[in-house]
Amino acid sequence: MNFLPLSFGAPMVLWGLIALPVIWWLLRLTPPRPQQETFPPLRILARIARREETPHKSPWWLTLLRLLLAALVILALADPVFNPRERIAVGGRGLALVLDNSWAAAPDWERRVATAARLINDARAQAVPVVLALTAESPAQDVGPFDAETALERLNAAEPRPVPTDRPAIYGRVAQALAEMPGASLALLTDGLAAEGDEEAFQSLFQSELSNVLWVGPGALSAIALSDSANEPERFTVTAVRPEGETGPRQVTAYASDEQGRRIAETAISFGPGEAQATGQMTVPFELRNDFASVAIDGENHAGALRLLDENSRRRRVGLLSQNEADQAQPLLSPLYYIRRALGPYADLVEPSSPDLTEAIPQLLEQHPAAIIMADVGTLPESVRGRLIEWMRGGGTLIRFAGPRLAAAENDEELLPVRLRTGERSLGGTLSWSEPQPVAEFPAGGPFSDLSPPQDVTVSRQVLAEPSADIVERTWANLADGTPLVTSAQRDEGRVILFHTTPEATWSNLPISGTFVEMLRRIVQLSRNQGTVTANADPRGGQLAPYRMISATGTLVPPSPEAEPLSPGRDTPVTLAHPPGFYGSEEGVVAHNLLKPGATLAAIARPAAPVPITEASYAFDSSRPLKGPLMAAALALLALDTLAVLWLGGLLSRRSGRARTAAKATAVLAAVVLFGFMSPDGAMAQIDEPQPTDQEAIEAISATRIAYVVTGVSSVDTVSRAGIMGLSRFLAEKTALEPGEPAPVDISKDELSFYPLIYWPIDAGAPMPSEEAIARIDAYMQQGGTVLFDTRDQYAGGFGASGSVTPETQRLRDILSGLNVPPLEPVPDDHVLTKAFYILPDFPGRYRGSALWVEASTSESRADRPVRTGDGVTPIMITGNDLAGAWAIDGNGDPLLPTVPADPMQRMLALRSGVNIIMYMLTGNYKSDQVHVPVLLERLGQ
Amino acid sequence: MARIGEVTAPVTTQDALVRARTRASLVPDLLVQARRIVGNVIAGWHGRRRRGIGENFWQFRPYVEGEAVARIDWRRSARDEHIYIRDREWEAAHTVWLWADRSPSMLYRSTLSDVSKESRALVLILALAELLSRSGERIAWPGLTDPFAARNGAERLAQHVAHAEPSATHPDLAQVRRFSDVVVASDFLDPPEETMRWLDPLARVGARAHLVEVADPAEESFPYAGRTEFRDPETGEKLTFGRAETLGEDYRQLYLARRETLTGWCKKRGWSYTVNHTDKLASDALIRVHTAMTVEMDGGR
Repeated sequence: MNFLPLSFGAPMVLWGLIALPVIWWLLRLTPPRPQQETFPPLRILARIARREETPHKSPWWLTLLRLLLAALVILALADPVFNPRERIAVGGRGLALVLDNSWAAAPDWERRVATAARLINDARAQAVPVVLALTAESPAQDVGPFDAETALERLNAAEPRPVPTDRPAIYGRVAQALAEMPGASLALLTDGLAAEGDEEAFQSLFQSELSNVLWVGPGALSAIALSDSANEPERFTVTAVRPEGETGPRQVTAYASDEQGRRIAETAISFGPGEAQATGQMTVPFELRNDFASVAIDGENHAGALRLLDENSRRRRVGLLSQNEADQAQPLLSPLYYIRRALGPYADLVEPSSPDLTEAIPQLLEQHPAAIIMADVGTLPESVRGRLIEWMRGGGTLIRFAGPRLAAAENDEELLPVRLRTGERSLGGTLSWSEPQPVAEFPAGGPFSDLSPPQDVTVSRQVLAEPSADIVERTWANLADGTPLVTSAQRDEGRVILFHTTPEATWSNLPISGTFVEMLRRIVQLSRNQGTVTANADPRGGQLAPYRMISATGTLVPPSPEAEPLSPGRDTPVTLAHPPGFYGSEEGVVAHNLLKPGATLAAIARPAAPVPITEASYAFDSSRPLKGPLMAAALALLALDTLAVLWLGGLLSRRSGRARTAAKATAVLAAVVLFGFMSPDGAMAQIDEPQPTDQEAIEAISATRIAYVVTGVSSVDTVSRAGIMGLSRFLAEKTALEPGEPAPVDISKDELSFYPLIYWPIDAGAPMPSEEAIARIDAYMQQGGTVLFDTRDQYAGGFGASGSVTPETQRLRDILSGLNVPPLEPVPDDHVLTKAFYILPDFPGRYRGSALWVEASTSESRADRPVRTGDGVTPIMITGNDLAGAWAIDGNGDPLLPTVPADPMQRMLALRSGVNIIMYMLTGNYKSDQVHVPVLLERLGQ
Repeated sequence: MARIGEVTAPVTTQDALVRARTRASLVPDLLVQARRIVGNVIAGWHGRRRRGIGENFWQFRPYVEGEAVARIDWRRSARDEHIYIRDREWEAAHTVWLWADRSPSMLYRSTLSDVSKESRALVLILALAELLSRSGERIAWPGLTDPFAARNGAERLAQHVAHAEPSATHPDLAQVRRFSDVVVASDFLDPPEETMRWLDPLARVGARAHLVEVADPAEESFPYAGRTEFRDPETGEKLTFGRAETLGEDYRQLYLARRETLTGWCKKRGWSYTVNHTDKLASDALIRVHTAMTVEMDGGR
């Protein structure tokens, strides 16, 4: 079974597969037993049977199904295991498990833990004690023996450490434990990297009485680590190493990040065939290189792939040099006092023990300081001057402060950035016109450009630079009158900087301002240490606290509790007490890196042991016993087979009636559920807005329908409907208009715009329409509709009682108060309403005498015109004559209500009034224009 | 899955003694059942009344020229101006041949019914025997008895049947004479041509036949489904079908077509054809057959 990661616990059972053809043959021969039925009318059936093919054998798919079933059962009985793992014989009376949890184990730590867990599980199965030791932990750790449960817990709690292994110490502990457990199995789970003292460690281990040794190592070491980095003047060089065993060409990408972790540069590092070391170069500008805080390799997640750089943020050593330190009684007058106070927190200050410059300067230079500050040193002895210049040109930063001595000294081309005029310049003295000068804005190109100039600093004395062509470039700070305050000049790799005033507060108050601290700090930041100092040169023995540690997976993390402060300068090995990382504080750190420059990654050699060594590799326990799934599949097939047999036997179709019922029930259920999901939307839609459906709209406009308002009082509504019906009939008889059914409208809900006229009988007993309904009526009237209000109270108001108001009129007034009612007037004689179809003097209904009020016409009445002109149709008509009452007819076409007085002619006139109103509604001013046709024709000369 | 049909009593390989006992014990039951059914039939039937040659008064009817003067009932005629003839009730004995198919196929009984076809056929025949005996008809079983008239005709017929050897062969109808009625209760599952062939002599001698088809509901509705092996109880022939439910439609068509053929054939000869399902009441068929007989007797004379 090489082609499949499959093994069998009982491979002999597989011989049963040979029986499959026999089973196949049997299955083919023995069809499923049919239902046996006695059937007298067989001869009739036989006539059909000639057409029907009778299956004498099982269907092929059923045979296949059963064969598969048999095969599955056989396979399952053979106890197959997918992705089998090696069984490691944990013999003897215990298991000693030594696991390397160094940084090299971090990338595949899970697999190592899984491997170890498997071993512990095997030990648990045999109920033997387990010694568990982690080689990157402290030698003081508890190695056991534990029982398997505890060992498993400890294993799961373990994690890789960003430090190399400490095999000798740990193996010593294990050897002690093994001495009490003779005949135990030893499992060495190595990280694959050789370390010092390995050989002795193994030998100490193998001295114990062992039953067997299991050697588990990574198949091939592929970790690539960074061993060195150098910030060269032109480029940044990174050196990477890889295990020596690896010979193929390989390329990785290294990248540099700044303090915030931003990736700012990268380079490719190519290992040639057989090369264990390779370098990459990042050619980026110096300013960018100064921001590098760490270099890392892409895709490598272990501590070795991250290298911290402290060049940029490392504490600088600054040498201080002065010539008049004698008077310690007046420290505030000491030239270096303010400099010490300003730089103390940021830099290591180095001061010579001797005031003699010939001794002091070599002392300082031995310390390879980043910068040397000389406070008012005039002339240097020739012997030391050369060394100082040499140091400066090699990259040192020389910071000089002016003072009486410098002012008196001669110009020194090398050690001064600019030529100075001899003597100092005094500003604002008693004999001077000038004022002490404040500091001007810092020039944009200089290092102080982002500082704001101090407002309260004045300079009263200074040394003056001779004007030259490049004086502006060299100036880092100016006074307000333009004279330089700080000048600087590049000297090869180094730099000389001159403050044109004193470092103490005699010439100016700059040294006691905060800006002075900032300026010095910037300058020191620009400088770089000139080499490392030897261990014994640490004057104070200061220890740096852990600041940021590298985790085993190659990320920066807060320091762990085990981390102890680091003594800078000493070559401290990387241990758990001193894990790799940054030591120091925000102001300056020292990088403590895992690999020293020149380190190599040597593969560990398998030691020779007195007992046989089994080799294995790390792997997850991905073995899966397949017996259960196979059996389940066989069971499923069995169920399928049963179903198929039932189907072949016809049981399913005999039950099909029931099945159909069930299907129906399911469908109904599904429909109910569906409806349940959908109905809320539908209900919302109905509640939301009473939009007329398309059907209603089509019905409403397919014929001209006269609408009436449903008041809610049934007697009124009945009369309204009958009245509109009567009018419709009359219209159909007399005119070309054949109105549709009367349309009852609910003004609060129904769409009104379909109807040209809405008849509104006012009834005091009806509920008052809501504000919204009145607003809708108002909109309807504004959009061209007409409402015919009928108060039907012509005789109810009492005769001549003009002051009294009937309830209907009062209600009408209430309604109209919410409407935009135009000015009204009774229909004038020459109004088009009086001539729209019939010529009518008035508009009676059941009653006679109430005027019909319409919108007041704006045009003047003219005697020579039969009708006054005017555009539009009145939006409102008001009458009290109960028009609908007069129009109302019953089912036979007979009048429903008597007119008052009972005069048939009045009913006829009422109907004619209705005709005129409808005609007026539908034709508008066309009728009023039509009466002018003779005049128009006459004007046209025809 | 339970079978739908079964053979009630094994026929071909049955020991003779056991068979006789079974038969003997079966027949009295049938007789009792037949009596009960006859009682039901008589309760709903108003007797067989018609004029004819007999002893009892039937009716007076007006004398028609040409009739025998001797038949005039003068006593009655003296009572008014008309001359009457006294009719007497018909009392001529009639021969009815009764035969029930006792072939193995008749032993079939499905779960849909309570009785086998043979049982139902025998019940029907014995019930008719009882009915006809009571009304004085002569009954006979072709090949088994000569026509006889007896009050206990059904018992005697049953006795004869019990001792007879059931055979699949068709009865010998040579003895049947004209004006006889023949009642044949069978399942008529043979091809119609065959049935017509052995019944054809009856038509030729002028006898009237009443065919009673005793059908099991399972034979008609064909409720089988799935893989089924059908066995013919007579020939032992077997047929296996993969999916029996697919045959149902065709089978029912053929089955009913056979019945239609026979019905039409009978109608053409003035015979009756009655279908009795074993899950229905036997008295239904009894009434129908009896009515058919009566009507024919009336219509015939």
